[in-house]
Amino acid sequence: MIGAALNMTTSLRGALRPSVTISVAAVVAAALVGLALIFAMNVPVVDAVAAFVDGTIGTPYAIAASINRSIAFALVGIGFVIANRANLVNVGGEGQIAVGGIAATAVALYGHVAGLPAGLSFLIPLVAAAIAGMLWASIAGVLKIKAGTNEVISTLLLSFIAVWLVYWCVQSPELLRKPMTSSATLPESLEIPDSTQLPLLTGDYSFPVHIGLPVTIVIAIVAAIVLSKTAFGLQLRAVGFNPIAASRAGISYSRMVLISLAAAGALGGLAGGFMLLGEQYVLKDGFSSGYGFDGLVAGLLARGSIVGVIAAALLFGFLRSGGINMEMVAGVPTALVMVIQGLIVVTLAGASFFIGRRT
Amino acid sequence: MTWELFAVFLGSSLRLALPLLLAGTGELVSERAGVLNMSIEGMMLTGAFAAAVGAWATGSPLLGLLICIVAVFPVALLQAVLSNTLRANQIVTGIGINILVLGATTLAYREIFGARSREQIPGLPKWSPPLLGDIPIFGEAVFQQVWLLYAGLALIAVTALVLRYTSVGIVVHAAGAEPRAVDKSGVSVSWVRYLGVIFAGFMSALAGAFLSIGDIHTFTEGMTRGAGYLAIAAVIFGKWTVGGTVLACLLFGAATALQFQLPTLGIDVPNALLIMLPYLLALLAVGGLAGRQTAPRALGEPYLRR
Repeated sequence: MIGAALNMTTSLRGALRPSVTISVAAVVAAALVGLALIFAMNVPVVDAVAAFVDGTIGTPYAIAASINRSIAFALVGIGFVIANRANLVNVGGEGQIAVGGIAATAVALYGHVAGLPAGLSFLIPLVAAAIAGMLWASIAGVLKIKAGTNEVISTLLLSFIAVWLVYWCVQSPELLRKPMTSSATLPESLEIPDSTQLPLLTGDYSFPVHIGLPVTIVIAIVAAIVLSKTAFGLQLRAVGFNPIAASRAGISYSRMVLISLAAAGALGGLAGGFMLLGEQYVLKDGFSSGYGFDGLVAGLLARGSIVGVIAAALLFGFLRSGGINMEMVAGVPTALVMVIQGLIVVTLAGASFFIGRRT
Repeated sequence: MTWELFAVFLGSSLRLALPLLLAGTGELVSERAGVLNMSIEGMMLTGAFAAAVGAWATGSPLLGLLICIVAVFPVALLQAVLSNTLRANQIVTGIGINILVLGATTLAYREIFGARSREQIPGLPKWSPPLLGDIPIFGEAVFQQVWLLYAGLALIAVTALVLRYTSVGIVVHAAGAEPRAVDKSGVSVSWVRYLGVIFAGFMSALAGAFLSIGDIHTFTEGMTRGAGYLAIAAVIFGKWTVGGTVLACLLFGAATALQFQLPTLGIDVPNALLIMLPYLLALLAVGGLAGRQTAPRALGEPYLRR
C-alpha cells in the first residue's frame, strides 16, 4: 500500500516536476543558440527556418520520414531507459542498430523467407534483427557480470566494431556484397525482395510510414507498464539503487544486468531492422547513420520516463529531417543539429544539480 | 618481413600510439583523482581542430599548438565544473561534450575551410635524436619523428615520476580513493579534481594537435574516430598505472599500424578486420584479459562535503 502510494506521488511529481520545465527550457535555449549560429554564418535566418520547417512538416513525405526516424530513436531510447533502471548506461545503440541491419539483410536476402505467407517474409528478418542486437548487447552484459567491465566502455567499443562489421559485410562478395559484375559495382548489398520490405501503413509511397510505428507504440506501452507496475520493474529498480541490498532480498544482480542489457540490445537491433526493411532496403557502409547516438540522447533526456523518450525521439526525428533539408536548401551544415543536441545534453546534465536538490 | 619493413612498422606504431599515450596519461591522472573523464574524445577533436586552424591562420605550427592548448582549456573547464561543482553524471556530461564538439568542429570546419579543404596546413617539423638517429636501418624509420612526440614522451615520464614520488601524486591518488581523508587533511578535493581534469585537457590537446599538425597536416571531420575511447580502455587495461597504460597504448598503436603494414607484406586479411583490430583488442582488454579491475574507489562519484 505504502509502496503504491509512494509510486503514485513519484509518478505525479514526474509529470509536474521542475525537470520538465528545465528540459523544455534547455531545448528552447539550445534552439536559440542554433538560430544565433545560423545568423553568425551569414545565412538569412528566415530562409534557414523556412527550409527547416519545410523539411519537417512541409510535405506528407517529410512528415513520414521524420516519424520513421523517430521510431528508431524511440526504440533505442526505450532500451536505454530499461537498462538505466538497473543503473546501467547502454551507449551501444549504434552498434546494436548495425548488427540488426546486418542480420535483417542477411535473412531477407539469403534466408529463403521471400515466399513465406502471412507476413512471415518480413517478420522473420525483423526477429533476426532483434536477436542479433540482443546477442550483441549481451556480450557487454556477460563482461559486466564476469569481469566487472564498465558497460559504458564495452558497449562503445562494441559499437565501433559493429560499424566496421557493416563495412566488412558490404565490401566482401562472400558476405553481403552484391555480385560484382564490373569494377564499378558499388560496395553494398542487393536490394531486399519486395515481400520482405515492411508494409506501409497507408500503402501510399507519398506518406511512407511503415508498420514500425504501431509496433513501437505497443512496445512503449508495454515497457512503461513493465517498468512501473510489475515486480520485474521493481526488481530492476532495486538492483539499480543498491545491488547488495537487492541480492539480500533474493534478486539476482547478474540476471537483472543480463536481462536489461539484452532487452536494450533487442530494441536496438529491432530499430536497425526497421531502418533496413522499412526505409533503406539496401545495406550500405554507414547505414546506422548515428541514429544510435540520437536514441541514446533521447533516452538521457527522458530521465527515465517512457513518455519522455517518445517526446525526445519525435523532437530529434523532426530536428534531423529539418536539418537535412536546411543543409540542402539553405546551405547550413546538419552538424548544427549535433551542436544543438550536445548543448541540450550538457545543459541538462548540469541542471540535474538543481533538480536533484529537491528530492 | 625484412628489417626495413620492421623498422617502418615500429616507427609507425610509435607515431600512431602517441595520441593515445598522451590522452591516456591525461585520463589516468583525471581518473586517479576520481573523475571519469569521457570527454577526452571531444578534447582531442577540439585540439586537432584548433591546432589545424591556428597553424593555418598564423602560418606557424608552433603558434597553432599554443592556440590549441588555449582552445581546449574551456572544454576541460566545462567538464570540470559539471563533474565537480555541479556534481553531474560524468558519463552523461562526457557524451554531451563529445557530441557538442563533433558538431561544432564540423560546422566550423565547413565555415572556415569549406571551399579550400585541400589547402596544405603547416605541420610541426621532425627531429631525430643524436646517436639514435644514426643507427642503420632503424635510425631514420623509427626515430625521425615530429619533435612533439619526444616532448610528449618526456611529459609522460615526468607525470609518472610526479605521481609516484611526490606529495602531489599522493594527493591525486587519495582524491580518487579516499576523498574524505583528503578533505580532512585540509586539501580541497574539488581543486585536486579540477586540476586533474584540466591536466587531462592539456594532454588531450597535445594529442589532438599531434593528429592534425603532427601526423597528417590536415583536419578531417571527426578525425579522432574514437581514439579517446581507446585511451580510456587503455587506462582500464593498464590497471590505472602509468606503465600499464603506456603498454596498452603501444599495443593499440601497433594494432593500428598493422593496417598499413600487412597489405604491403602481401598478407590477405580483410581490411575491415584490421581497422577494427584496435577496438577488438581494447574490448578483450577491458573484458577480462586485464584480470580483476582495480579502479580508484571513488571514481565517477562527485565528492559531497558534509
